[in-house]
Amino acid sequence: MTIDVFNLFGYQFFQNALIGGVIVAVVCGVVGLFLILKKEAMIGDGLSHTAFGGIAIGLLIGINPLITALFVSILAVFVLSYMRRKKIATSDSAIAVMLALGFSTGLIIISVAGGFNVELFSYLFGSILTITFSDLLLVSSLSVFVLLFISFFRRELLSMIFDEEDSKIRGIPTNYLTIIFDLLTALTIVLSIKVIGTILVVALLVIPSMCALKLNLSFKKTLFATIIFSIVSTITGIIISAITDIATAGIIVFTLVAFFLITLIYKKLGD
Amino acid sequence: MVMQQQNIPVLEVKNLGVYRNNVAVIENATFTINKGDYVGIVGPNGGGKTTLLRVILNFLPYVQGSIQLFGVDVAKFLSWQKIAYISQQATNFEDQFPLTVRELVSLGCIRQGRLGRNFSFDDWKLVDENIEFMGLSDVANRRIGQLSGGQKQRMFVAKALTHKPELILLDEPIVGVDSDAQEKFYKKLSDLNIKCQTTILIVTHDLASVFCRMSKILCVNKNVELAGITQDLDTAKLLKRAYGEHFHFVFHRHGCEGEFVHDY
Repeated sequence: MTIDVFNLFGYQFFQNALIGGVIVAVVCGVVGLFLILKKEAMIGDGLSHTAFGGIAIGLLIGINPLITALFVSILAVFVLSYMRRKKIATSDSAIAVMLALGFSTGLIIISVAGGFNVELFSYLFGSILTITFSDLLLVSSLSVFVLLFISFFRRELLSMIFDEEDSKIRGIPTNYLTIIFDLLTALTIVLSIKVIGTILVVALLVIPSMCALKLNLSFKKTLFATIIFSIVSTITGIIISAITDIATAGIIVFTLVAFFLITLIYKKLGD
Repeated sequence: MVMQQQNIPVLEVKNLGVYRNNVAVIENATFTINKGDYVGIVGPNGGGKTTLLRVILNFLPYVQGSIQLFGVDVAKFLSWQKIAYISQQATNFEDQFPLTVRELVSLGCIRQGRLGRNFSFDDWKLVDENIEFMGLSDVANRRIGQLSGGQKQRMFVAKALTHKPELILLDEPIVGVDSDAQEKFYKKLSDLNIKCQTTILIVTHDLASVFCRMSKILCVNKNVELAGITQDLDTAKLLKRAYGEHFHFVFHRHGCEGEFVHDY
């Protein structure tokens, strides 16, 4: 059976998926660009795996797993920042520990409780085509919050990433800004879980800005290009997935990688 | 009555002692820098030049003595917007960083008390003026990674100028800038020093430029010695005290040229 692409747009589920997908694509692109420039892409991976523990807790006690995932990721951000501040571990090893601990929490809960394999699968790999209206509401309100903060403080963030010492002299509260940005990263990851799942969210965070950075543009245009790459690959993923019944997240990642290869060739030809 | 501007102290250091791992890096340093001074900080590698700057900026602790910035003890000093610091690593940023020269210079407009605000028309005007003053108008829309070493230096000064500092501390990189570009750079700083009465302290390896362009020389080699650059300054003796007996520096003031003779 073939589904007409244009008919798809008439379905409520498909409209919800597109709206949710585009919102998440924008937020992931923007946050991801700052993460890449900070050279902290792995914090995205770490927090998303930690969030998996939160999802399992939510499923176990019967409340919206996105909410428990949010709490667990926020907790993880504070633990990470404590470990860094007290010099208990370097950033990357602290992230590795949190990742393992969070994921193991999920694993233990699953093996003890059992029985929610199908639902769990949808959080691991995303299920944008089944996004509910209440999920959409949660995702869009969190997104607005993240985007508003970043649009207000983008210059301070950029200045801090470029030269933290100088930013401190300029009176930018770099310690607060760092932890707030990490919290926003946690929010972003949780709101992306429905679209792309905990395992592959790092792709949506990292690859769009990697593509944009290859284009040698100003910051403003780089940010814009990141958002475009992110949105186009997400929409492509949703449409192809709806037609072919192949996992959305997989198609999104393949589209992103294709874009990356194209920009890479473009860069090579330009040089 | 016209006030003698030379007599307004900007930086006063008294009996300063800095130790790292119980080894003295700076010992018993006493000197005063006044408003409008253009000071070259010289001395051998590892002599403590960078450390001295970082202690003045309160990045590193000191054990003995006192430091006053604009008449306030450094520990209680809050008006950091009066000071610009350009570190040795400043020009070592990643070439791929997605900022244009104009965007980077504009980041200097971020100020305490107005965080999260949009830049005004006046901010952008100031950004463009400073880019022009530092001779970077042609490359204003280029990515910062595409600039030459000399242009990068001037870009960071342009950024510093956007918050109208009264004191600029500049720790110059050892490599990466050719001598022509360097000379242009010192000339620009001279213009700034004369035009705006900005006090400038610059760590440099270019002794000829120090004697040609600057008003004072600060020799740092664990001990610190400040001297005014005048006709009767005995440069040979001064530099031997800073660099050691084997160091000779021949300096011709009339052509404002100098050359090094290493005699080992």
